[in-house]
Amino acid sequence: MTGAPPLLEVEALVAGYERGAPVVNGVSIVAKRGEIVVLLGPNGAGKSTLVKAIAGLVPVVSGRVRLAGDDITARPTHAMVSSGLAFVPQTENVFTTLTVTDNLKLAAQTLPSGQRVSRIADVHLLFPDLETQRGQAAGRLSGGQRQMLAVARALIVAPQVLMLDEPSAGLSPKVVHHLFRKLQEIRDSGVGVVLVEQNVRAALGIADRVYVLVEGRNRLEGAPGSLASDPAIAALYLGGAVAAAGESP
Amino acid sequence: MTLQFLADGLIAGSTIALGAVGVTLTYSILRFANFAHGEFISWGCYLTLLIAGPIGAWIAASADAIGPLSVGWNIVLAGVLAMALTGLLAIALDAILFKPLRERGASITAVMASFGASMALRALLEVLFSSRPAYLSRELQIAIPVAPGIRVTPDQIALVAITALLVAGLHLLLTRTALGRSLRAVGENPALARVAGVDVARVIRLTWFLGGALACASGVMLGLVVQIRPTMGSEILLPLFAAAILGGIGSVPGALIGGLIVGLAEATTVELVGSQWRAAVAFLVLISVLLIRPTGLLGRSP
Repeated sequence: MTGAPPLLEVEALVAGYERGAPVVNGVSIVAKRGEIVVLLGPNGAGKSTLVKAIAGLVPVVSGRVRLAGDDITARPTHAMVSSGLAFVPQTENVFTTLTVTDNLKLAAQTLPSGQRVSRIADVHLLFPDLETQRGQAAGRLSGGQRQMLAVARALIVAPQVLMLDEPSAGLSPKVVHHLFRKLQEIRDSGVGVVLVEQNVRAALGIADRVYVLVEGRNRLEGAPGSLASDPAIAALYLGGAVAAAGESP
Repeated sequence: MTLQFLADGLIAGSTIALGAVGVTLTYSILRFANFAHGEFISWGCYLTLLIAGPIGAWIAASADAIGPLSVGWNIVLAGVLAMALTGLLAIALDAILFKPLRERGASITAVMASFGASMALRALLEVLFSSRPAYLSRELQIAIPVAPGIRVTPDQIALVAITALLVAGLHLLLTRTALGRSLRAVGENPALARVAGVDVARVIRLTWFLGGALACASGVMLGLVVQIRPTMGSEILLPLFAAAILGGIGSVPGALIGGLIVGLAEATTVELVGSQWRAAVAFLVLISVLLIRPTGLLGRSP
């Protein structure tokens, strides 16, 4: 998989909510086909802002975002989705007043009409629980079910790259384990997964590559094992998660 | 005492309901109380009047009354064209005024700006058409007895039927179509809607268009039962907001029920207390709902 061309290339990205006060200061990352890239770092490192900026939700000051070689930096968010870049926000990531089915149908509206039913069926295969909840308002789902629906919604468009912002936040370890297994399945289907996580232990367990961001800049990059095996790095940036490296979640 | 006031209330309520549907749609999707909505009603009615004349002159037969109604096909056709034009007027107002404020996050400023837009649009109508009353039709209609003590004109029956059709159509659009799903998604969470692949800017334009078109329809209905004046829309604005809030902001069926209740309450007050209290009814309804049940009859808690 290492020789595969990068699906997502982020080059020297500078982005922030206010003019003159960038939160992300020249970050560069790459995500390849069929790999899980995990973004780690202390609070305020700019991880969430980075993925939101890539998704077009935070203004980009400079830098480039390329998807399979195409420059998508200036594209509106909805057009990025059509291009194959999907994003799951950390919170408020499902439409609570819509049913489970309507959440999926909404995302499927970007597809040609002939593909919609089959894509929803494909997603139901990956998340069979959602099929039994199809008429339920998404606001009535448990935290774990909502997270599954949010990921399912993002997968409807068969993205090339799937970005998730702290999907394990607020979930029980069992649900996190289940969710991360699903992410591995998604990775194995050829999707490039970019994962922002505070749950370092679980994230390192599924990561193929790790970027550590500090104060809005790239600090470290490497395989999870190599980073976690350095006690100083692990203690400083990875929450002392040495023992978790290489383990399954 | 006759029961005529009940029919009068339902007829007035239908007009209020149609306007309130536009208010509730704009508010629920854009999170914005547009006080210029009343002017869309006035502009819609005047545009209908403006277009109907040439159509009537061009096709003389179109000006003949349709069956028992007091208006001809020229008014119907002009009304449809005016709905589109009023929708475009609403989109233009958003592009020029509200969109820049929305992008700066100045939501309260946008509400204040809508007051300014309201005054400007009303003044422009007075400049263009003068404040002398105008009429969609000067035909005299004979009211038909429909129940003991209740008589209504064919125009009034048509008004209630068209309101019911438009509200039902909008409700189906919102609940049964892909477009409606997008509208509801943007109303709940615009950022997530973008992430889900919805072209939010297009949905916002569509919301303005629908709101403007419905306001125009409301204006034409109003123009059938009252004199057409530049102030006709602003005078009905408070009952519209009272109806939208009573029904529950964001609920189309709620706006219909709210409109009918406000219309009936006004007519009952005129009948039992006195016409001088009519204007106070909408205030009373508004304050009562906000104190007792802020989410309205069919609204959801945020």
